[in-house]
Amino acid sequence: MLLPWEYGVRNLARRPVRTALTLVALATVVMLVFVVVGFIRGLERSLAISGDDDVVLVYSVNSEENIENSSIAARTPALLTASLDGTWKRFGVAHVSPEMYLGTRVRTKDGVGGLGLVRGVTRSAPLVRRGVRLVEGDWPQAGEAMVGRLSAAKLGAEPSVMVIGEVIEFEGKKWRISGEFAAGGAAYESEIWCNLDDFQTATKRQDLSLVALLLRPGASAAEVSLFCKERTDLELRAIQETAYYGTLQKHYRPVLLLAWLVVILVSGAGVFTGLNMMYGAVAGRIREIATLQAIGYRRRAILLSLIQEGVLLAAAASLLAGTIALSLLNGMAVRFTMGAFTLHIDSVAILVGCGVGLVLGVLGAMPPALKALRESVAISLKAV
Amino acid sequence: MKTTTSVALAALSLMVLVGCSDSDVPQNSESAPNGPADSKYLAESEPAGAMPVGEARKSVEDEQMVTLVGTIGGSTEPFVDGLAAFTIVDPKVPYCSPDEGCPTPWDYCCTQDQVKDNLATVKVVDESGSPVSGDARQILGVKELSTVVVEGKAKRDDQGNLTVAATRVFVRPGE
Repeated sequence: MLLPWEYGVRNLARRPVRTALTLVALATVVMLVFVVVGFIRGLERSLAISGDDDVVLVYSVNSEENIENSSIAARTPALLTASLDGTWKRFGVAHVSPEMYLGTRVRTKDGVGGLGLVRGVTRSAPLVRRGVRLVEGDWPQAGEAMVGRLSAAKLGAEPSVMVIGEVIEFEGKKWRISGEFAAGGAAYESEIWCNLDDFQTATKRQDLSLVALLLRPGASAAEVSLFCKERTDLELRAIQETAYYGTLQKHYRPVLLLAWLVVILVSGAGVFTGLNMMYGAVAGRIREIATLQAIGYRRRAILLSLIQEGVLLAAAASLLAGTIALSLLNGMAVRFTMGAFTLHIDSVAILVGCGVGLVLGVLGAMPPALKALRESVAISLKAV
Repeated sequence: MKTTTSVALAALSLMVLVGCSDSDVPQNSESAPNGPADSKYLAESEPAGAMPVGEARKSVEDEQMVTLVGTIGGSTEPFVDGLAAFTIVDPKVPYCSPDEGCPTPWDYCCTQDQVKDNLATVKVVDESGSPVSGDARQILGVKELSTVVVEGKAKRDDQGNLTVAATRVFVRPGE
């Protein structure tokens, strides 16, 4: 015979302070799990959605996988357009975007200076970077720049100083913010875009970092790769944009593994917290447990009731932490070496967080309950 | 019982060793050879009079039929993904020996200054002259550092680059 469901529920309400403290402790643990899993999912999502299968990046073979270090001749876009059939052309306009991409110190009006990612582009950039949307303001004119949705987070600056009309400073020049763009969470969102010619003038450079090409439907990136192999004098390499971000994902794998390790450690710490709380809770109820045994309840039924209490508390803590995570943490910008991304509390994060919470409830309740049940009824009834 | 435990332990150790191998480092084909390929582009016997790449870069004219010999390499990724094409380096240019422990000896990292003048691109073409789609490693059964003899038409440009539109490829056995 099982104990009534209400018995376990009422037991939680009998010790409100202890229950509240346990709830807060468990919710904190689950919240930490949400933060770390949200971080992992945010980083994975940012890299996964960055890049377009139809876009090929052409940059210097000497820069390995760091486009920031790449330097290619300014004539490269014209050369590629003239030599390749696979580039998409519409209304006589080739979808080729020459770009200069740098990590440089950017200063805002409040004096905050952070390492920002600046991309000098031409008006052909939106033809190739199809995920980029100008959400507010205008395309930058001379002396102007448009900022990504997460650029303030990347700089560690207040969002209020990265709005339209404000002035930022980089490469020894002041730039008025003319617009804000979004890219659906892709890596560009942490960048600042300005006019390529202006940027070349400011940096006193005439070269480019890369050329991004949009392939026409049915064309293959292999054609661009072959061109780069044939023109060894240009020292170029070509890579599909998705493959480029795939390699970045490979570089960040140790970080992601470390983050999962943190999830395991936090969960482990949570189990011990739960154990500690439940040992305390059960220790004060030895006589009650013995009484239940004396009036005929089987040990299994009592164990189930104690686990029910633990799981109820852990489920409530998971719900509380989940609500806070979804309302406050989801979408929060995180600064990272490659730029910035947002914490992403998605279905996987919810599953892992709530799963850890429920496991805490079961594992936390079971050992102290088993310990209490192992004592003989006669001795337990006399316990103080 | 003792024997069973020993076998189980040995199997476990083997699994651990396999699990610890570094999958990020491209495997040298010498340790992972490709199987023999059956392709119409493969020559059964080695064409005579093959010219090393370095010499060809000096003497070969545009549109000239050539037979070149070279070692597949010249960069970390000498093969073109999606096309039967790759770069070859003159066999006289040395690359890292196996005992140096270089994970990618085919990039000629220690002799890059010599590679520039001893490099050619090979693209396998069909009857119409179009590059053949696919992976050269699968089509020809080659790998990085394989020595190949290719026959085809040379393409030169003003910058001195040499590309061979190869119709036949011979892979020297054991290399």
